[in-house]
Amino acid sequence: MLEYKKLKEDFPLLGKEIKGKKIIYFDSACMSLKPKQVIEAMNEYYFEYPACSGRSSHRLGEIVTKKIKEARQIISKFINAEEREIIFLRNTTEAINLIANSFNFKEGDIVLTSDKEHNSNLIPWQILARKKGISHIIIRTSEDGIIDLEDYQEQVKGAKLVSIVYTSNLDGVSMPVKKIIKIAHENGALVLLDAAQSAANQRIDVKDLDVDFLAFSGHKLLGPTGTGVLYGKLNELEKLDSFLVGGNTVDYSTYTDYKMLNVPEKFEAGLQDYAGIIGLGKAIGYLESIGFNEIQEQEQKLNKYITEELIKLPKIKIIGPIDYSLRSSIISFYIEGVDMHQVATMLEEMSGIMIRAGQHCVHSWFNDRKIKNSARISLYFYNTMTEAEELIRSLNKIIKIL
Amino acid sequence: MFCVLALIIFSILGIFSATHRELAKEALDCVFRRVTFRPCNTGFKEKLKSRILVRLLNRSTGLARIFNKYFEILSWIFFVLMVGSTFWVVKGGYNYYMYGSCNGLNQSGFCAFDPKGENNKVTDISQQCGVVEKKEENVTLKNIDLSTFPTKNIGAKDTVVLVGCYECDYTRKAYPDIQKLIKDKKTNYIFAHYPAKEDTNYLSEVGYCVYKEYGDKFWAFNDYLFTVDKVEIYQPEYIKMILENFKFDVKKINDCINDPVTKSVVDMQVGQLRKTHLYGTPTVFINGEALVGPKPYRVYKSMLNKFIIF
Repeated sequence: MLEYKKLKEDFPLLGKEIKGKKIIYFDSACMSLKPKQVIEAMNEYYFEYPACSGRSSHRLGEIVTKKIKEARQIISKFINAEEREIIFLRNTTEAINLIANSFNFKEGDIVLTSDKEHNSNLIPWQILARKKGISHIIIRTSEDGIIDLEDYQEQVKGAKLVSIVYTSNLDGVSMPVKKIIKIAHENGALVLLDAAQSAANQRIDVKDLDVDFLAFSGHKLLGPTGTGVLYGKLNELEKLDSFLVGGNTVDYSTYTDYKMLNVPEKFEAGLQDYAGIIGLGKAIGYLESIGFNEIQEQEQKLNKYITEELIKLPKIKIIGPIDYSLRSSIISFYIEGVDMHQVATMLEEMSGIMIRAGQHCVHSWFNDRKIKNSARISLYFYNTMTEAEELIRSLNKIIKIL
Repeated sequence: MFCVLALIIFSILGIFSATHRELAKEALDCVFRRVTFRPCNTGFKEKLKSRILVRLLNRSTGLARIFNKYFEILSWIFFVLMVGSTFWVVKGGYNYYMYGSCNGLNQSGFCAFDPKGENNKVTDISQQCGVVEKKEENVTLKNIDLSTFPTKNIGAKDTVVLVGCYECDYTRKAYPDIQKLIKDKKTNYIFAHYPAKEDTNYLSEVGYCVYKEYGDKFWAFNDYLFTVDKVEIYQPEYIKMILENFKFDVKKINDCINDPVTKSVVDMQVGQLRKTHLYGTPTVFINGEALVGPKPYRVYKSMLNKFIIF
């Protein structure tokens, strides 16, 4: 059972007020709040050992090298991977771009995605289609937010890569990724999972999934901004060319030649965000200490209540399945003819409730369906039932005037 | 339309507040997008609309609903009202600069003539104030004979006629500015005494006779009458003393005053002035255009200038 008092101590923002209204934060799908342990770990780096990792042999350098190694260990254990299979990047977007630019694509190679990908998992393939002539095929999702597996089975034949969202930031629906990966492998395709929304809310076991590549961001799972991870099977990573090269990616260089370092260093060009990586390690440690069972239990409890109350309200349409249990921690909804920015702003003005409104970087999905935008409530374990009740109370008032 | 409205309001408020300056920038972005035929997707309108809605919602759901439903129409109404009020403000500013009154030429509301001290309205001499305010468009020098009034700088390009009363505070206020104007611009200048109160009737005759007998020496005498305590100029003894101080022959002046011809000339002068339809003092005619009541110096000057400020 989560102890809110303890959480309030750990998360400095909880219980704070802006303009006399207590902050109710329902935008964790965009950015999670940070526990003070993470902030302190980052501060510790800057105060105690603000040096380079893996390059400087002095004592401060050694401390940083050790801390980064520890963070890599924590993260590899977090998803059941090997240490060398963890590449530190800035975010999920950079990880997907790394694959798109390092993979040996040739003209005509097929890349499959779903129809509700974040721009980060859509634009890189559109650019490759223009630049290299790859074939980018989009698999439609049904009303329940899951891709049509029959269509997928047909389309995946001859595909080189399936790059698909694990849990959608649009509706919170998780794809049947194990099945998708199995089918892809049976057809000789590799799979890249965009796990930006999944890693914060569910246990990911890359070995169990047998996924080839997986990307997630630190800022959605209590970690610092500007931190992201790309997991890749070692043998697959070794086949990839480096995307960004330079400092710390080569063993040596001459005026005419160079020798690249091994995985993961060859993908981690330039000076890394050491404070961020250390903070990310701490965030994952914190997440583990809470436990995904507790996290999911709280999210589901709140999602159930909010969903059940939302469907009682007139005009509101929930994106994705009505069944809250299929939607992780996200509730996206819209009202025909209403700009949902208005609803979001009114919630904040009225009760200090912060949600996100817009197209959530899934413009393609909204444009295809001619839906202007949606309001997205995204929950995390630090949200409470009192907050959820306040949300519903406020929405009830707002709906009356729309 | 809301963005345009917001831009105007926040630009004005932005002069005093940094927060509003930011909002003005957002509004400008929105307006710029609109005029370049792009969608205004900044969320600015929704943000402000929502803030207003929440405030209304806290008071009345019905009011908030109406505001939400008719938001665009209300924006238009406020926009039109704003354009209207802006026009009147600008016009008022222009009028103030040009005519010394926000209401425009001769709409200053200054008291010009007030025999009974009631309402500062204008009446004919010896009569009660009028209830209806008179219009300055009718005040004209057309077909008016000014040949018997004191005149100087004859032959100058511009002509200034001051119709004033020695006892009228407003004439006394305007008088120095008119003198400065005459001096600076070397205009033809005609002074006509119009007795705003009966007490000063005889000063018309005194003035006429001084000018008739002593010519240009009249002007110094005239200046003096506008500077002395106005209570004293009611008293003939005091005037006699002034005449003596100016070394005028009092007997000669008195003989002139008692001459029936003088009486008829002064009556004719008042008659001519009445024909101008003037309704108060001071009335200043600059090249024939009438200004009733005292105006700032710039107003007099601007009427002689080709451009407003030169």
